[in-house]
Amino acid sequence: MTDRNTFRLMLLILGLVFAFLYIPISVLVGLSFNEGGLPTAWTGFSVKWYGLLLEDADILKAAGNTLIVAIFSTILATILGTLLAVGVEIRRRNGKWLETIIFAPMIIPDIVLAIALLSMFSLLNIKMGLHTITVSHVVFNLAFVCAVVRARLKSFDWSIVEASADLGASTVTTLYRVVIPVLMPAIVAGGLLAFTLSVDEFIIAFFTAGAGRSSITLPMQIFAMIRFGVTPEINALATIVISVSVVALALSQRLNKGGLPGQ
Amino acid sequence: MTQAFLSIRNVEKYFSVVKAVDDVSLDIKENEFFALLGASGSGKTTLLRMLAGFESLSGGDILIEGKSIAGLAPNQRPVNLMFQSYALFPHMTVAQNIAYGLEMEKLPKAEITERVNAILDVIQLSHLAKRKPDQLSGGQRQRVALARALVKRPKVLLLDEPLGALDKKLRSEMQLELKRLQHEFGITFIMVTHDQEEALVMADRIAIMKDGALLQVGSPKDIYEKPESRYAADFIGVMNFLHVKRSGEGFATSDGTPIATAHVSDGVGEGGAIAAVRPERLFLGDAGDNHFDGTVSDIAYHGLDLLLHVKTELSDAPVIARMTADVADNHRPEIGQRITLSWLARDTHIFPA
Repeated sequence: MTDRNTFRLMLLILGLVFAFLYIPISVLVGLSFNEGGLPTAWTGFSVKWYGLLLEDADILKAAGNTLIVAIFSTILATILGTLLAVGVEIRRRNGKWLETIIFAPMIIPDIVLAIALLSMFSLLNIKMGLHTITVSHVVFNLAFVCAVVRARLKSFDWSIVEASADLGASTVTTLYRVVIPVLMPAIVAGGLLAFTLSVDEFIIAFFTAGAGRSSITLPMQIFAMIRFGVTPEINALATIVISVSVVALALSQRLNKGGLPGQ
Repeated sequence: MTQAFLSIRNVEKYFSVVKAVDDVSLDIKENEFFALLGASGSGKTTLLRMLAGFESLSGGDILIEGKSIAGLAPNQRPVNLMFQSYALFPHMTVAQNIAYGLEMEKLPKAEITERVNAILDVIQLSHLAKRKPDQLSGGQRQRVALARALVKRPKVLLLDEPLGALDKKLRSEMQLELKRLQHEFGITFIMVTHDQEEALVMADRIAIMKDGALLQVGSPKDIYEKPESRYAADFIGVMNFLHVKRSGEGFATSDGTPIATAHVSDGVGEGGAIAAVRPERLFLGDAGDNHFDGTVSDIAYHGLDLLLHVKTELSDAPVIARMTADVADNHRPEIGQRITLSWLARDTHIFPA
């Protein structure tokens, strides 16, 4: 086979892979704009399903809950994950073990983590609600933030920390004037990733939300609605969730690659 | 005895069981440009980091103007370090980098601005004050690192391989520039380097370190012309070593030709010894106190001068003789030619074999 043909074959495979990945999503996005609302026939472009969404009190409430959980769990996970990453990097002793323990929540199946968290909250007799979902999301998001920040720390020039001390700064001053600003792109990227993961997390939220409708999140609401069939409203909702995730993820990638702010 | 400005007393450093710095005592004068010279692993950088406060002392003491600084953290010492990697803060501009150390002293804003501007003027980078470090050339970064340390007006400025990252041409420019700045600021400089030429050009005094200990301390001239050990002789500049042996009161080569010398170092016993002579002290002909015959094996042309490589029984490696171009023009030897080289007794050093 000539090089040219090999190249064409590779392009074809690449195309198929992308088709496999994105056709389902494109269908969903497309149907969310279908006026008729039936998946079987295209009757014209419309945004009426988005309009209906805004009138649905249950969905708005769930979206509000999701935002609360995502914002608070992201803030907590970002602070803790960053400190953890810096701490582990400074004290390299037992690094391998520590790393395994820290990153375990990323690898453990969500369902296992969900059951474990549920058991713990029950055992401690904690009344469940948005706060327990938030804490549970911190558990796995912390690992993701830590992973992103640690990757950045691999190329971190530690002599600037010594330089800061040499110029008269205390450890705390060095942390907030040198270490955190230099790591900021990675910290923000990790935070955006955590936010995305929290927004569409279902299993853990489902287990740790407690009884009643008061602390239902958006993925849980979609799951409840879907039992009566996939409505165009769900397509519209899913499209919004995808958009938010894509924007957050793209920002995160861009920040983490682009180096330092102001460059 | 007058009190030394900076006194390093019996300083030791162990890394677990490895002795990195071995009982070093040094007195450094005010306004002195001092070089710690050694190969990698000689302990010079560890000693510098102990002065800066980044390594604790396993033993001994360090005093500045009679007061011990051994127990002080790096941010409490009247000492600043210019890092080998420069360690500029990548998220700050040139001006912010330089101002950082003054902000830590909680000086008034007006004074900080004034001092930053003044030093930017000195290093001639005023026009780049708003640039980030990654928008600067290597030489510019080096000057910013220097300014950031100097602006604090430390009692002692430590420099870790200050010119190591620069290319050759810039390096020789900066050698003189650093000397000029040291004069202008009147601050004691202590520089770590593995580059013997750099130490010779810049320093008022040099300490050669080996295996954590001081081998020899002296002016560049002393170190170059009166090396006290074979290691020092070999480490500084180029040195030829010839096999000799005791012969009565003096020394002789294996075929019995006597070798006249003015410098015999301690520890030369009966039996074998090494005679050392610099390439520029050798000349053609047999007019000197000492001479030997050899065959020219190579000629290296360096523009200003020629280096003759001469094979002889007396030495394992070819002896190198340096001829200035005008001498070489008149009697340029050919490769393979048999020649006689001679030198004076005062240029001959004898070390234990």
